Amino acid sequence: MLIFAASDKGGTGRSVTSANLAYHRALSGDDVCYLDFDFGSPTASAVFDVPDARQAAEDRGLHSYLVGEVGEPVRVDVWADTEHRVLRNRPPGSGRLVLMPGDLSGGEFATDDDNLRRCVDLLLRLNSEFDLIVVDLSAGRSYAVDMVLEATSLPEMRGVDARWLIFHRWTRQHVAAAAGLVFGKRGIVAGGVARGHDEDALRGSIRFVRAAVPDPKSALWSQVSATQSAWMRECDRDLKQLASSHGIGYSQVLGAVPLEPVLQWREQLITDEDVLDSQIANMETWQALSDLAGRLTDDKYWEQA
Amino acid sequence: MAAPGQSARPVLVCGEVRTCLLPSFQALDGRAAAQLLRLRADEHVRVSERPNLYVLSPEVLTGVDCRLPTANGARVRAVGTVAARAALTEGRVLQATAYFSAPATGPDLRRPWGQYLVRPGLVEPFGKLPEQATAQGVLRGAGRGELDLGMIAEGLLAGLLRHPLLDHKAPFKSRRTHLRWTARRAPDGEGPALVRFTLAEDGLRSMELRLPADTPAAAAAGLCEDLALHDWLLTTVVHMLDNSRLGAADGPSAVLALRPAVDHLLHLWMPRAHVDRTLGHLWDELEREPGFSRQWHSLVQRIRDQLAVQTIPLLHQALSTR
Repeated sequence: MLIFAASDKGGTGRSVTSANLAYHRALSGDDVCYLDFDFGSPTASAVFDVPDARQAAEDRGLHSYLVGEVGEPVRVDVWADTEHRVLRNRPPGSGRLVLMPGDLSGGEFATDDDNLRRCVDLLLRLNSEFDLIVVDLSAGRSYAVDMVLEATSLPEMRGVDARWLIFHRWTRQHVAAAAGLVFGKRGIVAGGVARGHDEDALRGSIRFVRAAVPDPKSALWSQVSATQSAWMRECDRDLKQLASSHGIGYSQVLGAVPLEPVLQWREQLITDEDVLDSQIANMETWQALSDLAGRLTDDKYWEQA
Repeated sequence: MAAPGQSARPVLVCGEVRTCLLPSFQALDGRAAAQLLRLRADEHVRVSERPNLYVLSPEVLTGVDCRLPTANGARVRAVGTVAARAALTEGRVLQATAYFSAPATGPDLRRPWGQYLVRPGLVEPFGKLPEQATAQGVLRGAGRGELDLGMIAEGLLAGLLRHPLLDHKAPFKSRRTHLRWTARRAPDGEGPALVRFTLAEDGLRSMELRLPADTPAAAAAGLCEDLALHDWLLTTVVHMLDNSRLGAADGPSAVLALRPAVDHLLHLWMPRAHVDRTLGHLWDELEREPGFSRQWHSLVQRIRDQLAVQTIPLLHQALSTR
């Protein structure tokens, strides 16, 4: 299955969260591949802590592959190549975790027929090899978004399941922007329909992920004053109302990730060690990521509303 | 064009085979397979049904004019055509091969294309061919701007995978393998020999052969495809057994994870089924060391034993409720 991770704005934690989802699925035994299609600013090698991948992807990454400069994009075996102390020990029963980094020097590029064909070939090939393929797309209505919309509309891709995750922060502006990215005049749905996607099917394959959500009930905020607490709850309620009026209410949400300093500042994978031993990350975050990872392929969460 | 037969006598044949599961829910029958592999309108697809269903495409040519990959960095320009073909075994395992032959020396000037086209699959060096360095270069893999057999094989394979016959609903996930091979000419009077077969990481394999001058390049390619097919079967079933956590995970789930092997792979083992008669005995060396069939039979036995063990509780249940 393909999972496209998109967001309207930067700073939504799209890359770091989707990388964590890939990690959780690999932990549970799936073979997972993570593609960094964020051509403007590839960050995946930092998230997975594979500095060698930066070097390797200097000119042999996804960007070079798509424009036809190399026959195959470089692959990084995260378990083997990471410098992360915990990730280095691949747990028994886990699946493969492979990163395909973007090029450091790559930028956005307009899609032509050759790029598109290479993109399709790559996705078909990875689909036969991996249980889950997470594609991290550049923010906004980027060329990367156009390319995968076009690719998934082609008849040769009809047998490959694809789902979309739209990441947004839990603020008024982000909620409106995320809705615009999907349902707007030049949004993903309109763009997909123009390329021959079935509108209902495409809508049914899109879910939202609320990122960096401060949960007023969590222990983190238990010390705030009564006024603050009331204010937070009110804001939260307003935002929920706003979201549902934009068509991205509860039924369209796959999950929420709590506001988590480790995700915000370190921008790396959260391991069980961070939660259990050093306890720098919250159990709620780990649980939220684990739930989200499970729901990616749980059809119950993808039924048409 | 003085004595083309002389100048064209190859001293080196190099190739790369890519092997993968056909991404289709059902195996293709002979007719569908022939349809898939009809790469050219002017030539027939070869279909043989005994001892197993094996379908071989006609060859397609790719014109090349570029540097040869060389292990010592020597810059040798070469011009000619690379042959590529695809094979489908039992409608399940798809292979694409790209290969070329090279003579010891070639002309110092590029000739008109027509003259290269009448020698399909021959790539001529400008001047003298650094035989050893080129063979090693091919095994190591081509750099940028060098003749890349893997890219040609991949191009053929990718084209086939876009065919409307394929639904991309393969019954299980599996990795590809790449086998790079070289065959240098054996000293006069000596028979064919397998010098080395090596497993590297990421599904990469390499093989070095020595073949008499009269062995056709296509026969060498056929042998390598057969080895690549069986190596892929071993690789895939071993991976499946690893992932099934047999022994660790209890109950029927581990055995169920092996079901695709039973359904789709176990009947495919048939070494030498379509190998040229003069080369079939090269298999014996792989059977001795590392022992391809030995490993396969042990894997198959393990899977069958597990299936048998899982049926015992069911038998028990059935008997006790009588």
